[in-house]
Amino acid sequence: MVQFNLPDNSKLTDGDYYKLEAKNKSIKKFKIYRWSPEDDKNPRMDTYEVDIDDCGPMVLDAVMKIKNEVDTSLTFRRSCREGICGSCAMNIDGTNTLACTKAIADVKGDIRIYPLPHMPVIKDLVTNLKNLYKQLKSIKPWLIKQKQEATDTENIQSRNDREKLDGLYECILCACCSTSCPSYWWNSDKYLGPAVLLQSYRWLQDSRDEERKERLKELDDTFKVYRCHTIMNCTQACPKGLNPAKAIAGIKQMIAQQ
Amino acid sequence: MGSAKNAWKIHRLTTILLIPLIIYLFLRIIHFSGEPYELILEELRSLWSILFILIFTVLGLIHMRIGVNEILEDYIHDEPAKKIINFLISSFFILILIFVCLSMWLILIF
Repeated sequence: MVQFNLPDNSKLTDGDYYKLEAKNKSIKKFKIYRWSPEDDKNPRMDTYEVDIDDCGPMVLDAVMKIKNEVDTSLTFRRSCREGICGSCAMNIDGTNTLACTKAIADVKGDIRIYPLPHMPVIKDLVTNLKNLYKQLKSIKPWLIKQKQEATDTENIQSRNDREKLDGLYECILCACCSTSCPSYWWNSDKYLGPAVLLQSYRWLQDSRDEERKERLKELDDTFKVYRCHTIMNCTQACPKGLNPAKAIAGIKQMIAQQ
Repeated sequence: MGSAKNAWKIHRLTTILLIPLIIYLFLRIIHFSGEPYELILEELRSLWSILFILIFTVLGLIHMRIGVNEILEDYIHDEPAKKIINFLISSFFILILIFVCLSMWLILIF
């Protein structure tokens, strides 16, 4: 059966409070999920006061400020700080998004930050994405040609065919969509999830690819695609404004027409 | 984990077919509300009504069966438990079909 309650050792407790000494009116509270595998303690919510007048405009700026100036043990992934790498995906104010593109001003009240939901936590805001990458590999996210000589020359594509990839190739694999999907929470071992299916559709739509039939055959499975019930959380969560739900509907249509 | 294409197609097809049938059913219920019992029985005995009820029941049961199966696949991960629940649900739906057929037969003979 699906587990609906958190195990006892995953239940959240109140953590430390890091008060800002300066008497400033622009103080914002950041409540951040903390958990370390190095001790047996339950996860906790630490609260940090941050002077937002002395901080960059984005949530990532504040989190980095906390790590640099208040608590160096705070652990999170980040890299490009401009919405391209997808490293800083986390759950902010109840929504999966990128900390680098989420403005502090967009959140009313205290800012609550959790790791991506329903994923194994490695430490603090860092989750284990091994399963997602394994699933991505399973859909062969690369161009497949039947004849070897075809790979030696340029693969010409018409403008119309290239336009079919718009709204698909922009995916940065941040996993915000997959980890917002209840179907993926319940069946992440077998259901591929919106992120991987969007990638799959990207290759199914590529006019240069010659493996479409095989790709569709692989996807025609009770779990891989059909656990999607058009909940649309994925589309709502995508920080790049993409529509994975539409891509999944496209895959179902292609399978049905096969 | 076999092909799910056909179940998906049938689920959509039964959805589309059931929409006009449900609208028609509601219109008939409104039309016959307040009418005498004998007139309603007479209407139910007509070939069209019998066909309508049978088609509606079969399509509805197929639609529900696939829908319930989706829920089972989502939430029940234990394969033996899934098989037992599947058997019970299928038996329940067959009983509903038998009950509807029996009701139609009783209306016809009395």
